[in-house]
Amino acid sequence: MARNLDDLFVYPTQLLDEESLSVVRLVRQWSDREIVSKRMEYREGYEHLFAGKRKKLCIDIGLQKLTIPADLGGFGWNSPSKAPAMLALAFEIGRADASIGVLSVMPWVLFLMVTRQREHEEKLCSALASLYSEEAVRTPSLILTGPGLKGIQRPLFFSRSILASAEQSESGFTLNGKDLRPLIAGGLADFFCVVCADRSGKPCIAFVPGDAKGLQRGHSILMTGLNACGNSQIDFNSVTLPMENVVAQEGNLEELHTWVSLLLGGVSVGAAMNFFELLADWSESRTIKGGVLLKENPLCASVLADVACEIALSRLLLCDLAGIVAAQKESGPETIRRTFTYAGMIGHRAQKGAMHAMNRGLELMGSAGYAKEWHVEKHWRDVKTIQSILYGVAAEAPLKMDTARFFYNCTEI
Amino acid sequence: MKHFDEFSRQEEYISPFDRHFRRLLRKTIEESIMPFRRQYDEDWKDHRLIEPAFDKIMVGLGLQKGLFPMEYGGMGLANSDYFFRAGYMVCEELGRADTGFAVALGVTYWPLLVISVEPYVNERLIAEFAPMFCNADRAVFAANAMTEPQGGSDIENLGLLGGRTIRTTARLEGDEWVINGHKLWPTNSGGVAKLFGVPCTTKPGSNDPKDFAFIYVPADLPGVTQGGAYEKAGMAADKNGDIWFEDVRVPAWYRAHGPGRDAEAFYQLVPFGQVMSCAFLTGAMMNLYERLYEFVSTRTYNNRPLKENDAIAGVIGRIAGDIDICRILGYESAMIGDRRNKPYGKPLISEDVVGRIRNIKDFVSDRAVDCFGKAMDVLGLYGADRDWDIEKHWRDIKIVQLWMGGKQLCQMEAARYFFNCETL
Repeated sequence: MARNLDDLFVYPTQLLDEESLSVVRLVRQWSDREIVSKRMEYREGYEHLFAGKRKKLCIDIGLQKLTIPADLGGFGWNSPSKAPAMLALAFEIGRADASIGVLSVMPWVLFLMVTRQREHEEKLCSALASLYSEEAVRTPSLILTGPGLKGIQRPLFFSRSILASAEQSESGFTLNGKDLRPLIAGGLADFFCVVCADRSGKPCIAFVPGDAKGLQRGHSILMTGLNACGNSQIDFNSVTLPMENVVAQEGNLEELHTWVSLLLGGVSVGAAMNFFELLADWSESRTIKGGVLLKENPLCASVLADVACEIALSRLLLCDLAGIVAAQKESGPETIRRTFTYAGMIGHRAQKGAMHAMNRGLELMGSAGYAKEWHVEKHWRDVKTIQSILYGVAAEAPLKMDTARFFYNCTEI
Repeated sequence: MKHFDEFSRQEEYISPFDRHFRRLLRKTIEESIMPFRRQYDEDWKDHRLIEPAFDKIMVGLGLQKGLFPMEYGGMGLANSDYFFRAGYMVCEELGRADTGFAVALGVTYWPLLVISVEPYVNERLIAEFAPMFCNADRAVFAANAMTEPQGGSDIENLGLLGGRTIRTTARLEGDEWVINGHKLWPTNSGGVAKLFGVPCTTKPGSNDPKDFAFIYVPADLPGVTQGGAYEKAGMAADKNGDIWFEDVRVPAWYRAHGPGRDAEAFYQLVPFGQVMSCAFLTGAMMNLYERLYEFVSTRTYNNRPLKENDAIAGVIGRIAGDIDICRILGYESAMIGDRRNKPYGKPLISEDVVGRIRNIKDFVSDRAVDCFGKAMDVLGLYGADRDWDIEKHWRDIKIVQLWMGGKQLCQMEAARYFFNCETL
């Protein structure tokens, strides 16, 4: 049964201008026509169809260029004020396919970081813009912090281990790191955005071409979900980078985490919205107790209510976060830190909400939910994968420490 | 704690079978399943890797003849004092490696226990089917063809519906039953099982238990058609598919016990299935502990091992605590089953036993799903990684929470029992 998702899951559309709304509508059309209405065909021909569907979105609609500055040929959405619109797009793409969603938002994050203080990064920005404006689908990857290994002291970013190092010389930087785990797409990426530490242990971000000498990819990693994103471990063996490819501005990492939390949150909640659609259809065609429509049984209805409630509230929270990001008038350390903390709290809550909704929905669908035929299990696996990888290590502990630092001025944790 | 075996269970509940057999079973599992289990997902259709391991476990160790009396070459477990606890041990050990494996074995016992466990024993049928399992040199499976397309968990909800919604019919013609119907999702379907136990109705629409029939159908009879295996989120070692019965004829004496007693004997499947579900889960949870222990001991946050951070310790401590409690509950549920013939025990089909065991299974399932989800988050970037095994268990065990009527039926059975609900 057709449902108007916008009526059911309220979105504060006042945050979006007409141009943004038209792009969101276009992407929803892509989602409905290309994937949602052809679920079975898409599922059965996933490997064959995936690249084509992604190309339509990235190249034909042009989302690959979304955050490339307008004067460099992009849409020019490289400003925090566009956060609500980018989130709305992440919802729509995630609703269709989480893997395409995650891969789609990565170039946005890349350019948001590269253009953050463009005067310092003009050369890199121009080179990347040129690359990402070509008629080929591009795939950047992110390597954030991760768990360290016992016995090896690492530079830290809010207690998280920075596993790559960037050593500066007169001509540029030398990047090293072993067994690094990208969020996604380590095996596919043509460009890497890598959190690293300089000689003094200060966090910075290195931008590394996928064909850089000394970059080595490991075998493909089989994962719970997002397997179309082709991940593998990465080694950087004395990779040399020009000076402009390593940036160490204050607040860079916090902003990177903020965008990742917001946009991957959007992808997960978008997937959860399609989960809702599939569950709603299912609940209208199944009976229990010998004939009672499933959704009319009070216990089942209460589970259905939990599912809708979790998704709706997660979506609203992310919209609030997008509003917070968009409303930043200045980018001083306090503002960045506050937004980073809220991004962590809300992003985490949204991921948990989406996961909780799906876990509850699967309980109701029983074996139908578990079979690949209904597609809900794919959303369930994909979102769990995003949720787990997003927080890097140690479940909620790093986030809780960030929150405690912000609200209570903790200094020893 | 030095070893995962130290998770609690009631020492006085440990059966003689457990003491002697567990070590051998574990060794076989560690040699024949664990080294290959990460490849099982890709083997879901062909079972090229999975079948040889089944042969080692079910034939090599003799587990497929476990229920049958010794005089037929079996192990005589069905009427031992420790049938449920022996089953629990086997399923826990298998669940530690692969819950799909555990369920395929456990479900082979399922239809057979309808004719094997006192007071519902059918000697003639035992003698008929024993050679199929006891004289085989390859793994042989049975399946309980229960669920129907329209009804979901209605058949498990026998207490309320009395079989009213069953559409698979059994018609007596001379000295044969003629069976027609469509079943889906049985474990060991998809072309695996050689023998089906089929719940049917002799009078469609009736809720009189006397019209419920449990009839055995060899899978190779004319009129039996099996569809291919479903592709699922996990549980690759357990194949599920559709089965159609079109004018399938079996001897009249292939009915388990007859009017009234069929429904009673069949209902024993519910507590057995729920207890073994607990075993699958606690086995998987013990493996979770093993893998998590390695990760939190070798990986760091704030340059200290994860397990030495107070906040993370709080999370992993709770996970281990839940495993400990779940194992105690799991063994308690098995003991409830093994008390069935004692003066202080209750019949397996009593509301008391069904309500309490469903309640334990519901609780253990919820804790397992929660613990695996949290453990994946502790592993973070590596949580979704096949190489750490936890994600496989996370995918596999979700169906344990969902099956046999799922969470909602467990909740209803608990409410019916604890609050004497009369209309639910």
